[in-house]
Amino acid sequence: MSTLEEIEQGIESLLTRPPYGGDPQQRNSALLALLKKELAYACDRNPHFRNYVEQWPIDFCGADKIADLPYLPVGVFKANPPLALVSADDVKRTLTSSATTGQVPSRVVLDASTARRMAKGVITIIRDFIGPARRPYLVIDTPENLAAQPQLGARGAAIQALGSFATEVVCCLRLGQEGEPTLDLEKLLACAAKWKHVDVLVYGFTYVIWTHFVQPLQREGITLDISNVRVLHSGGWKRLDQQAVTREVFIHGVASVFGCSPDRVLDYYGMVENVGVIYPDCEHGNKHVPAFAEIIVRDPLTLAPVKAGQQGLIQVCSVLPTSFPGFLLLTEDLAEVIAYDECPCGRRGTSFRFAGRAPKAEVRGCGNLEARRSHQTQGSGVA
Amino acid sequence: MSDLIQAVDSPQEIAGAAQRLRDVAQRKEITPQVILEIVDQWAAALDDRELREVPGMTFLRLWLRRGNLEPVVLRELGPNSLTGEWREDGRARLRAFPLGVVGHWPAGNIEIQPILSLTCALLGGNGCLVRVPSRLVQITRRVMEKLQEVDRDGLLTERVFMASFDHSRMDLHQAMAQAVDGAMIWGGGEAVLQVRGLPFPHWARVVVFGPRISAAAMDAESWGNRTERSSWCRRIARDVWQFDQQACSSPQTLFLERGTGCDPGEFVEDLRQVFQQENQQHPRQQIEPALTSAICLARASWLLNDEGNRALFPASPDWTILLGAGAEMPNPTQGRTLSVLVVDDLLKVIAKFDGTLQTLGLGIKDARKEEMLAQAAGRSGVDRIVKLGRMHVFSSPWDGTELIRPMVRLVRHVRSQD
Repeated sequence: MSTLEEIEQGIESLLTRPPYGGDPQQRNSALLALLKKELAYACDRNPHFRNYVEQWPIDFCGADKIADLPYLPVGVFKANPPLALVSADDVKRTLTSSATTGQVPSRVVLDASTARRMAKGVITIIRDFIGPARRPYLVIDTPENLAAQPQLGARGAAIQALGSFATEVVCCLRLGQEGEPTLDLEKLLACAAKWKHVDVLVYGFTYVIWTHFVQPLQREGITLDISNVRVLHSGGWKRLDQQAVTREVFIHGVASVFGCSPDRVLDYYGMVENVGVIYPDCEHGNKHVPAFAEIIVRDPLTLAPVKAGQQGLIQVCSVLPTSFPGFLLLTEDLAEVIAYDECPCGRRGTSFRFAGRAPKAEVRGCGNLEARRSHQTQGSGVA
Repeated sequence: MSDLIQAVDSPQEIAGAAQRLRDVAQRKEITPQVILEIVDQWAAALDDRELREVPGMTFLRLWLRRGNLEPVVLRELGPNSLTGEWREDGRARLRAFPLGVVGHWPAGNIEIQPILSLTCALLGGNGCLVRVPSRLVQITRRVMEKLQEVDRDGLLTERVFMASFDHSRMDLHQAMAQAVDGAMIWGGGEAVLQVRGLPFPHWARVVVFGPRISAAAMDAESWGNRTERSSWCRRIARDVWQFDQQACSSPQTLFLERGTGCDPGEFVEDLRQVFQQENQQHPRQQIEPALTSAICLARASWLLNDEGNRALFPASPDWTILLGAGAEMPNPTQGRTLSVLVVDDLLKVIAKFDGTLQTLGLGIKDARKEEMLAQAAGRSGVDRIVKLGRMHVFSSPWDGTELIRPMVRLVRHVRSQD
């Protein structure tokens, strides 16, 4: 059996376990062993990655904790060409992050196996929260984001990942005359009438739901009266924070337009670099880690894992990708560890709460150049 | 001055404070000699156990001493300036007079900068309106309390108004700008551009310090010398550690000129040991998560970009040495992240400097070579060329500009009887 086959077998074994059951220590041992194999495999595949791992201050082969393994900062996936462990011919799809204006998006490459595992990972997690049944799927986005494309954005990836729960898929936004998303009210009301008594799955990016769905419906005073919905949303709160829309206001706004109870609205944390792993809130407001992944929250001062109750930078760990070295990634997000086990919801392992993006450094000192003279000169040249 | 730093909330408070400062400056003339005397006592009073841990405080105490500042006054304002007398200049005579009220916008990353800035303007006899960045309010208050102790008649303290307000309060920044006759602006690109764009009166003299970056360079005779190497490494560590490498005078890159029989790997191993020791002596007390992320990204990008690159770093973000080759200065990460680049010829490196480089710290064995490097660096826009270990020594001129002279008017009197 080749190394890759051995790794794939290990991943499959973790993917088929109950995602939130099992003793966390045993889970961690299995993860540690598999992650070490994946690191060794990645070093064989990519000499640049090997250079990084070889100069990590701790030899990963002898590490006895996941926290000691070499992790990459997510920022490295902004590089072009993207960091890969497969040849260009094997790349089936490239996922791009939803970078805000002016920022460089992250890009990760998926081969067929990683893409398959990505879908399976998300299904395993979501099933644990909403059950396995298929149901009508209302996408609060435009159909353009649903189409299969070789370059797929974070929104498209998130929409498509839930496709296997769908009996039918309806997008309730359409592009307006100037290319802006507009609510297709007629289509939406028809669906609401049809789905009044069935379970319905709804997904949208947080700010898209608020701006293009909740606000227009509230303005019109419309309640859809679909109480059996499960509304999943992701993509972060930055834009809503700017509009001073709190989580409470958002959840109650969504619940009021659907005519459902607020606990039917589920926020989840995720990122394209951490393919196949998402972190929905449980009924106690905590996020959990499935059997094929782990979360380490690191103290920014020491980079050591924090104790329960403390905040730090989130490191996501996942065994799922084999097409790019996304096993151990230090994000630029902050979280608080709630407990290392025993959330009252019954899910085992680490529970945490997202605490936002690490704020930009406030002190802009006298050594902080926004631009170099030579770079400005280059930039001002006439093409 | 009862409350040393006042939380200001309205433009009127600033206008009122500026008017009081202007009245004092016009009513009571003060000579540099008197100022130097009080400042010298202030320096002695700062030798306080509680203040010793403030970054840059040891330096500030030395800098404020009469022995240091008097030659600066004489050089910048001329002979007889200490007593405020006129000096002959051919058939005319010259004397320095204050501009009036000088506004100070110090950077938030250098603890002692509000004091350095206001002292320069005070020595010119000016009143000082100082915006103290929120991070520096407590430290600045403690330092100013020491001035209050020694300045019993309030000769200097009555010439200073320190204001604290949020950096986003443009109405207060504008009020400050409109009320001053001169400005000393320090800081990063964004802050400097913002302050420089304020509505200063057309007569106001505005001097900008920063933003700049700095670098270091050594010839093989210095870094390759095993007996002297650890001493050089300690000097480099001192320059990197001060102000957490966020000052304009902090070295971001060290260029090593290649030499036969000299191994850069050996050198960075020694540097690693010294960095470890320096970190034990001066551990970081806090860090912004964004800086931790930037340090991790710098390490990873460096090693992923080129298989030939090396890096030495602990599991924590405490310090980082990035070893590679090439004359191109990488974008600074700060936070004690030093790029060490091996080059064939230091002159070729210096030729690439573009005027953003403030200080070049040197470790050069050959004096003739150093002369050539200094000449080339001056031509390439470098304003300070100093020995490694002394990169942060604040001296005049700074950023190629004198410190006191820009905030005075040199008045020329041609006698009508002649």
